[in-house]
Amino acid sequence: MPPRIRSSPGLLLNRAETSVLLHNAQPSPAAGRPWAAAATTSSSSSSSHYSPQCVSLLPQHHQQTSSFSTTASRDLSRNRTKFWAFLKKEGRDFKNAPGEPKYLGDLKGSKEKRHAPFPNNPTYKSEPVLSDVARETIWREIMKQGMPLKAVSAKYSVDMRRVAAVVRMKEIERQWEADHKPKALPYAKAITSMVPQHSLSEREQPFEPVNDVHVHSYTQQQLFWPASESREFTRKDAAEAFGEHILPPDEKMRIPELMQLEKDINAGVEKHEAYKSFLDATRESELQIANRERTRLMKEEANKTRVDSGRFEFRFERFNADNVGKNGRARKAVGWRYGVPFSDRRRAEVKIPTKME
Amino acid sequence: MVMKIRLARFGRTNSPFYNIVVTHARTARNSRPLEVIGTYDPVPKKDSYDTSGRLHKDIKLDTTRAQYWIGVGAQPTDTVWRLLSMVGILEPKFRPSAAENQPKPPVAKA
Repeated sequence: MPPRIRSSPGLLLNRAETSVLLHNAQPSPAAGRPWAAAATTSSSSSSSHYSPQCVSLLPQHHQQTSSFSTTASRDLSRNRTKFWAFLKKEGRDFKNAPGEPKYLGDLKGSKEKRHAPFPNNPTYKSEPVLSDVARETIWREIMKQGMPLKAVSAKYSVDMRRVAAVVRMKEIERQWEADHKPKALPYAKAITSMVPQHSLSEREQPFEPVNDVHVHSYTQQQLFWPASESREFTRKDAAEAFGEHILPPDEKMRIPELMQLEKDINAGVEKHEAYKSFLDATRESELQIANRERTRLMKEEANKTRVDSGRFEFRFERFNADNVGKNGRARKAVGWRYGVPFSDRRRAEVKIPTKME
Repeated sequence: MVMKIRLARFGRTNSPFYNIVVTHARTARNSRPLEVIGTYDPVPKKDSYDTSGRLHKDIKLDTTRAQYWIGVGAQPTDTVWRLLSMVGILEPKFRPSAAENQPKPPVAKA
């Protein structure tokens, strides 16, 4: 799944950084150079000291030179002077931002948080991520309480693929804990402090839409379809009119069971009863998918012969050599094809692997 | 002309991939064969999510066609013989026990 966030640590001041700032402001034994301790481990090249994030940690206003250098230090540039002035006035708020990360885009007085890290680009928003507590909740409901993935997805309004990914990652995390593998906790803490968190509580906005329906290009054309006035023309009929394989939106939804749930509630069924049958339906649909996958794997296995040679296992898959099409070049035919350019020589074909097995 | 069951090397440098083909013996290696009866990927691979580190090789083979061509006298090369013997189409030609059954040369005594 692609990352939803591209945040800029340079334009962000948060609590973690502020605490470092305050810590460094106190006199330290490192001979008046607050970052000397950090600098001893890395090289003394100045480039790393003047990244925007590090500059905010410096209490001094003059450029530091190495101890062996006889060159006089340069005065502050105009931009740097402005930056320090900013830190003294408007920037003060950013030092004491409690809890959530505070972005420069939220500067201009509005109380509503826009999560805009770049003040000149207000359309860019930093999207919230699932907090650790939220991910733990999702994992517990699925792995401990045995809730269907679809139901959890609908309950918290989190995409099903994300729910599955959360469970996988949490399982790996637990495996690592069992194996006593070290976790990169400081890194995780730093990242989570820089992006807004979503805790899946009811007070918050829904995390993401789970009911989006993909619009088929067939349904975007204008269609004149004569039908008698007395006829009840439903969404299903409309879908059929657009094409035989077009599904009505009720079936196209990622969690079509939600439709039945709403219909039941409208028909007067008790809420908890309706929810119970919703849970049953989602569980049933998941079982069906699992069964289908199991059948496929068994069929695949039945078509294979495994021979163990000691070093390697040779897997012989049977196939029909006659299925090569009219000219012997059918796409599904087995083996490299004769008389056509190889796929890696063809133009305009994406060669980046899209799937890892 | 002699019919051969042999491998035709495809793939790129350092990533071989073979078609198991039925051809006339005197044609070029990668020329168009009479029939492609399978593929052989000689690069051993691991199963995903398998931590045991076991390696496997993937082969596709139309056993019916292979049996037919053997039946009408096609001659497999050594490598193809080894593969076909694994699925029981041919008697194994090179097996570890074969070397042991050979009569040993007499040891010269001093």
